[in-house]
Amino acid sequence: MREQDAYKDLSDLFRVEDNTLAAEPFTRQVMGRVRQQKRMRRVVVGGLGLIGAGIAAMQLPQLFAEWAGLEKPLADALATAPAELSTAAVSQINAAATGNPMWIAIAAGAALCVFAVSAFERA
Amino acid sequence: MRSDPDLAQAAARGNEAAFAELVRRHQGKVRGMARRLAGSDAPGDDIAQVTFLTAWQKISTYAGGTFSSWICSICWREFLQWRRRQKMEIEFDETAEIIPFDRSADQNEMRMDLTRALETLSEAQRVCVVLCVATGLTHQEAADVTGWPLGTVKSHVLRGVALLRTRLENANVA
Repeated sequence: MREQDAYKDLSDLFRVEDNTLAAEPFTRQVMGRVRQQKRMRRVVVGGLGLIGAGIAAMQLPQLFAEWAGLEKPLADALATAPAELSTAAVSQINAAATGNPMWIAIAAGAALCVFAVSAFERA
Repeated sequence: MRSDPDLAQAAARGNEAAFAELVRRHQGKVRGMARRLAGSDAPGDDIAQVTFLTAWQKISTYAGGTFSSWICSICWREFLQWRRRQKMEIEFDETAEIIPFDRSADQNEMRMDLTRALETLSEAQRVCVVLCVATGLTHQEAADVTGWPLGTVKSHVLRGVALLRTRLENANVA
Protein backbone atom coordinates (compact mmCIF):
# COMPACT_ATOMS: atom_id res chain seq x y z
CA MET A 1 0.00 0.00 0.00
CA ARG A 2 1.29 3.45 -0.88
CA GLU A 3 1.66 5.82 2.06
CA GLN A 4 -0.84 8.24 0.45
CA ASP A 5 -3.57 5.61 0.37
CA ALA A 6 -3.84 5.80 4.16
CA TYR A 7 -5.33 9.30 3.92
CA LYS A 8 -6.79 9.35 0.43
CA ASP A 9 -10.19 10.48 1.76
CA LEU A 10 -8.63 13.60 3.31
CA SER A 11 -6.50 14.27 0.23
CA ASP A 12 -9.64 14.20 -1.90
CA LEU A 13 -11.30 16.78 0.36
CA PHE A 14 -8.33 19.10 -0.01
CA ARG A 15 -8.19 18.52 -3.78
CA VAL A 16 -11.87 19.45 -4.15
CA GLU A 17 -11.14 22.66 -2.28
CA ASP A 18 -8.10 23.47 -4.46
CA ASN A 19 -10.02 22.79 -7.67
CA THR A 20 -12.50 25.53 -6.81
CA LEU A 21 -9.76 28.18 -7.04
CA ALA A 22 -10.10 30.10 -10.31
CA ALA A 23 -7.01 29.51 -12.43
CA GLU A 24 -7.27 32.17 -15.12
CA PRO A 25 -7.21 35.41 -13.09
CA PHE A 26 -4.31 34.12 -11.01
CA THR A 27 -2.38 32.94 -14.09
CA ARG A 28 -2.95 36.33 -15.76
CA GLN A 29 -1.65 38.11 -12.66
CA VAL A 30 1.47 35.97 -12.47
CA MET A 31 2.22 36.30 -16.20
CA GLY A 32 1.65 40.07 -15.94
CA ARG A 33 4.31 40.29 -13.25
CA VAL A 34 6.64 38.03 -15.24
CA ARG A 35 6.36 40.37 -18.27
CA GLN A 36 6.80 43.42 -16.05
CA GLN A 37 10.01 41.95 -14.59
CA LYS A 38 11.25 41.16 -18.10
CA ARG A 39 10.61 44.73 -19.30
CA MET A 40 12.27 46.15 -16.19
CA ARG A 41 15.31 43.96 -16.72
CA ARG A 42 15.58 45.02 -20.34
CA VAL A 43 15.39 48.73 -19.41
CA VAL A 44 17.97 48.46 -16.61
CA VAL A 45 20.45 46.31 -18.57
CA GLY A 46 20.02 48.42 -21.71
CA GLY A 47 20.31 51.64 -19.72
CA LEU A 48 23.49 50.57 -17.94
CA GLY A 49 24.93 49.38 -21.27
CA LEU A 50 24.17 52.77 -22.82
CA ILE A 51 25.77 54.58 -19.89
CA GLY A 52 28.89 52.42 -20.29
CA ALA A 53 29.00 53.08 -24.02
CA GLY A 54 28.51 56.81 -23.37
CA ILE A 55 31.40 56.90 -20.90
CA ALA A 56 33.59 55.08 -23.42
CA ALA A 57 32.58 57.44 -26.24
CA MET A 58 33.38 60.48 -24.09
CA GLN A 59 36.98 59.28 -23.80
CA LEU A 60 37.51 59.01 -27.58
CA PRO A 61 38.69 62.60 -28.20
CA GLN A 62 41.31 62.27 -25.47
CA LEU A 63 42.44 58.96 -26.96
CA PHE A 64 42.93 60.48 -30.42
CA ALA A 65 44.79 63.42 -28.90
CA GLU A 66 47.22 61.07 -27.18
CA TRP A 67 47.73 59.11 -30.40
CA ALA A 68 48.64 62.32 -32.24
CA GLY A 69 51.07 63.16 -29.48
CA LEU A 70 52.76 59.83 -29.87
CA GLU A 71 53.92 60.42 -33.45
CA LYS A 72 56.20 63.38 -32.79
CA PRO A 73 58.39 61.82 -30.14
CA LEU A 74 58.62 58.75 -32.31
CA ALA A 75 59.73 60.80 -35.34
CA ASP A 76 62.30 62.63 -33.20
CA ALA A 77 63.59 59.36 -31.92
CA LEU A 78 63.91 58.00 -35.47
CA ALA A 79 65.82 61.06 -36.65
CA THR A 80 68.17 61.60 -33.76
CA ALA A 81 68.91 58.28 -32.20
CA PRO A 82 68.03 55.16 -34.27
CA ALA A 83 69.67 53.01 -31.67
CA GLU A 84 67.34 54.30 -29.05
CA LEU A 85 64.28 53.78 -31.23
CA SER A 86 63.08 50.54 -29.73
CA THR A 87 63.45 51.59 -26.10
CA ALA A 88 61.87 55.00 -26.70
CA ALA A 89 58.92 53.55 -28.60
CA VAL A 90 58.32 50.88 -26.03
CA SER A 91 58.36 53.38 -23.20
CA GLN A 92 56.01 55.72 -25.14
CA ILE A 93 53.56 52.95 -25.92
CA ASN A 94 53.64 51.75 -22.32
CA ALA A 95 52.97 55.27 -21.11
CA ALA A 96 50.07 55.67 -23.52
CA ALA A 97 48.60 52.32 -22.61
CA THR A 98 48.79 52.84 -18.88
CA GLY A 99 47.86 56.51 -18.91
CA ASN A 100 45.17 56.22 -21.57
CA PRO A 101 41.76 56.77 -20.05
CA MET A 102 40.13 54.88 -22.93
CA TRP A 103 41.09 51.57 -21.36
CA ILE A 104 39.74 52.67 -18.01
CA ALA A 105 36.48 53.66 -19.72
CA ILE A 106 36.25 50.35 -21.57
CA ALA A 107 36.88 48.46 -18.34
CA ALA A 108 34.26 50.57 -16.54
CA GLY A 109 31.72 49.95 -19.30
CA ALA A 110 32.38 46.23 -19.33
CA ALA A 111 32.17 46.05 -15.54
CA LEU A 112 28.84 47.89 -15.58
CA CYS A 113 27.46 45.53 -18.22
CA VAL A 114 28.66 42.44 -16.36
CA PHE A 115 27.17 43.78 -13.13
CA ALA A 116 23.84 44.53 -14.82
CA VAL A 117 23.65 41.12 -16.46
CA SER A 118 24.64 39.24 -13.31
CA ALA A 119 22.17 41.22 -11.22
CA PHE A 120 19.20 40.67 -13.49
CA GLU A 121 19.97 37.50 -15.39
CA ARG A 122 17.77 34.54 -14.53
CA ALA A 123 19.72 32.06 -12.42
CA MET B 1 -0.77 17.03 -23.64
CA ARG B 2 2.81 18.10 -22.96
CA SER B 3 4.46 16.85 -19.78
CA ASP B 4 5.65 19.17 -17.02
CA PRO B 5 9.38 18.62 -17.78
CA ASP B 6 8.72 19.44 -21.47
CA LEU B 7 6.94 22.64 -20.51
CA ALA B 8 9.67 23.53 -18.02
CA GLN B 9 12.30 23.03 -20.71
CA ALA B 10 10.40 25.30 -23.09
CA ALA B 11 9.96 27.88 -20.31
CA ALA B 12 13.71 27.77 -19.63
CA ARG B 13 14.21 28.81 -23.26
CA GLY B 14 11.98 31.83 -22.56
CA ASN B 15 8.64 30.44 -23.77
CA GLU B 16 6.06 32.36 -21.72
CA ALA B 17 3.10 30.31 -22.97
CA ALA B 18 4.72 27.13 -21.66
CA PHE B 19 5.28 28.72 -18.27
CA ALA B 20 1.69 30.02 -18.21
CA GLU B 21 0.51 26.45 -18.77
CA LEU B 22 2.62 25.29 -15.81
CA VAL B 23 1.10 28.04 -13.66
CA ARG B 24 -2.39 27.01 -14.78
CA ARG B 25 -1.72 23.38 -13.92
CA HIS B 26 -0.13 23.88 -10.51
CA GLN B 27 -1.74 27.07 -9.21
CA GLY B 28 -4.47 25.21 -7.27
CA LYS B 29 -2.00 23.06 -5.42
CA VAL B 30 0.46 25.88 -4.71
CA ARG B 31 -2.22 28.37 -3.67
CA GLY B 32 -3.86 25.77 -1.47
CA MET B 33 -0.55 24.98 0.16
CA ALA B 34 0.38 28.65 0.69
CA ARG B 35 -3.07 29.56 2.02
CA ARG B 36 -3.03 26.68 4.49
CA LEU B 37 0.50 27.38 5.66
CA ALA B 38 -0.16 31.12 6.03
CA GLY B 39 -3.57 30.47 7.57
CA SER B 40 -5.19 33.12 5.39
CA ASP B 41 -6.18 33.59 1.74
CA ALA B 42 -4.67 36.95 0.74
CA PRO B 43 -1.15 36.38 2.10
CA GLY B 44 -1.35 32.82 0.79
CA ASP B 45 -2.03 34.06 -2.73
CA ASP B 46 0.81 36.58 -2.42
CA ILE B 47 3.18 33.78 -1.41
CA ALA B 48 1.92 31.69 -4.34
CA GLN B 49 2.55 34.57 -6.78
CA VAL B 50 6.07 35.11 -5.50
CA THR B 51 6.59 31.34 -5.72
CA PHE B 52 5.78 31.33 -9.43
CA LEU B 53 7.91 34.43 -10.07
CA THR B 54 10.86 32.73 -8.39
CA ALA B 55 10.12 29.57 -10.37
CA TRP B 56 10.26 31.61 -13.62
CA GLN B 57 13.63 33.02 -12.63
CA LYS B 58 15.02 29.64 -11.61
CA ILE B 59 13.28 27.43 -14.15
CA SER B 60 16.59 26.50 -15.76
CA THR B 61 17.69 24.90 -12.46
CA TYR B 62 14.75 22.46 -12.57
CA ALA B 63 16.50 19.16 -13.20
CA GLY B 64 13.58 16.86 -13.97
CA GLY B 65 11.73 14.84 -11.33
CA THR B 66 8.35 15.83 -9.97
CA PHE B 67 7.53 19.41 -10.87
CA SER B 68 5.06 19.52 -7.96
CA SER B 69 7.79 18.72 -5.49
CA TRP B 70 10.11 21.34 -7.04
CA ILE B 71 7.51 24.12 -6.99
CA CYS B 72 6.39 23.15 -3.47
CA SER B 73 9.94 23.44 -2.19
CA ILE B 74 10.06 27.00 -3.58
CA CYS B 75 6.67 27.72 -1.99
CA TRP B 76 7.96 26.43 1.36
CA ARG B 77 10.99 28.74 1.23
CA GLU B 78 8.82 31.72 0.27
CA PHE B 79 6.49 30.89 3.16
CA LEU B 80 9.43 30.81 5.60
CA GLN B 81 10.59 34.22 4.34
CA TRP B 82 7.08 35.62 4.67
CA ARG B 83 6.78 34.26 8.21
CA ARG B 84 10.14 35.74 9.15
CA ARG B 85 8.97 39.15 7.93
CA GLN B 86 5.68 38.80 9.83
CA LYS B 87 7.50 37.94 13.04
CA MET B 88 9.84 40.89 12.60
CA GLU B 89 6.89 43.25 12.09
CA ILE B 90 5.10 41.96 15.18
CA GLU B 91 8.27 42.15 17.26
CA PHE B 92 8.99 45.65 15.98
CA ASP B 93 5.53 47.04 16.73
CA GLU B 94 4.87 46.04 20.32
CA THR B 95 1.42 47.63 20.31
CA ALA B 96 0.30 45.77 17.18
CA GLU B 97 -2.47 43.26 17.61
CA ILE B 98 -2.14 39.87 16.02
CA ILE B 99 -4.45 40.01 13.04
CA PRO B 100 -6.99 37.20 13.07
CA PHE B 101 -7.27 34.99 10.01
CA ASP B 102 -9.40 36.42 7.23
CA ARG B 103 -12.63 34.50 7.21
CA SER B 104 -14.62 36.76 4.88
CA ALA B 105 -14.19 34.56 1.82
CA ASP B 106 -14.92 31.33 3.61
CA GLN B 107 -18.42 30.55 2.42
CA ASN B 108 -18.07 26.85 2.09
CA GLU B 109 -18.99 24.78 5.15
CA MET B 110 -16.65 21.94 4.29
CA ARG B 111 -13.86 24.40 3.83
CA MET B 112 -14.53 25.94 7.22
CA ASP B 113 -14.36 22.52 8.80
CA LEU B 114 -11.11 21.64 7.09
CA THR B 115 -9.55 25.01 7.86
CA ARG B 116 -10.66 24.93 11.47
CA ALA B 117 -9.51 21.36 11.90
CA LEU B 118 -6.09 22.23 10.45
CA GLU B 119 -5.71 25.13 12.84
CA THR B 120 -6.08 22.84 15.83
CA LEU B 121 -2.91 20.95 14.87
CA SER B 122 0.53 21.94 16.09
CA GLU B 123 2.55 23.88 13.53
CA ALA B 124 4.83 20.96 12.69
CA GLN B 125 1.84 18.64 12.27
CA ARG B 126 0.03 21.23 10.15
CA VAL B 127 3.06 21.67 7.89
CA CYS B 128 3.45 17.92 7.40
CA VAL B 129 -0.28 17.39 6.81
CA VAL B 130 -0.39 20.29 4.32
CA LEU B 131 2.62 18.98 2.40
CA CYS B 132 1.75 15.29 2.37
CA VAL B 133 -2.03 15.11 2.62
CA ALA B 134 -3.19 18.34 0.99
CA THR B 135 -0.40 18.88 -1.53
CA GLY B 136 0.26 15.21 -2.25
CA LEU B 137 4.01 15.05 -1.67
CA THR B 138 5.48 11.76 -0.54
CA HIS B 139 6.96 11.64 2.96
CA GLN B 140 10.44 11.61 1.45
CA GLU B 141 9.67 14.66 -0.71
CA ALA B 142 8.24 16.50 2.31
CA ALA B 143 11.37 15.63 4.28
CA ASP B 144 13.53 16.97 1.42
CA VAL B 145 11.46 20.16 1.15
CA THR B 146 11.47 20.97 4.87
CA GLY B 147 14.86 19.53 5.71
CA TRP B 148 13.30 17.56 8.57
CA PRO B 149 14.18 13.89 9.21
CA LEU B 150 11.96 11.39 7.40
CA GLY B 151 10.88 9.73 10.67
CA THR B 152 9.79 13.09 12.09
CA VAL B 153 7.72 13.85 9.00
CA LYS B 154 6.10 10.41 9.12
CA SER B 155 5.15 10.69 12.78
CA HIS B 156 3.77 14.25 12.33
CA VAL B 157 1.67 13.09 9.38
CA LEU B 158 0.39 10.08 11.30
CA ARG B 159 -0.59 12.09 14.37
CA GLY B 160 -1.86 15.02 12.32
CA VAL B 161 -4.11 12.83 10.19
CA ALA B 162 -5.52 11.08 13.26
CA LEU B 163 -6.26 14.43 14.95
CA LEU B 164 -7.71 15.87 11.75
CA ARG B 165 -10.08 12.91 11.41
CA THR B 166 -11.21 13.25 15.03
CA ARG B 167 -11.85 16.99 14.62
CA LEU B 168 -13.78 16.50 11.40
CA GLU B 169 -15.87 13.72 12.93
CA ASN B 170 -16.63 15.91 15.95
CA ALA B 171 -17.60 18.76 13.64
CA ASN B 172 -19.94 16.48 11.71
CA VAL B 173 -21.55 15.17 14.89
CA ALA B 174 -22.06 18.68 16.20
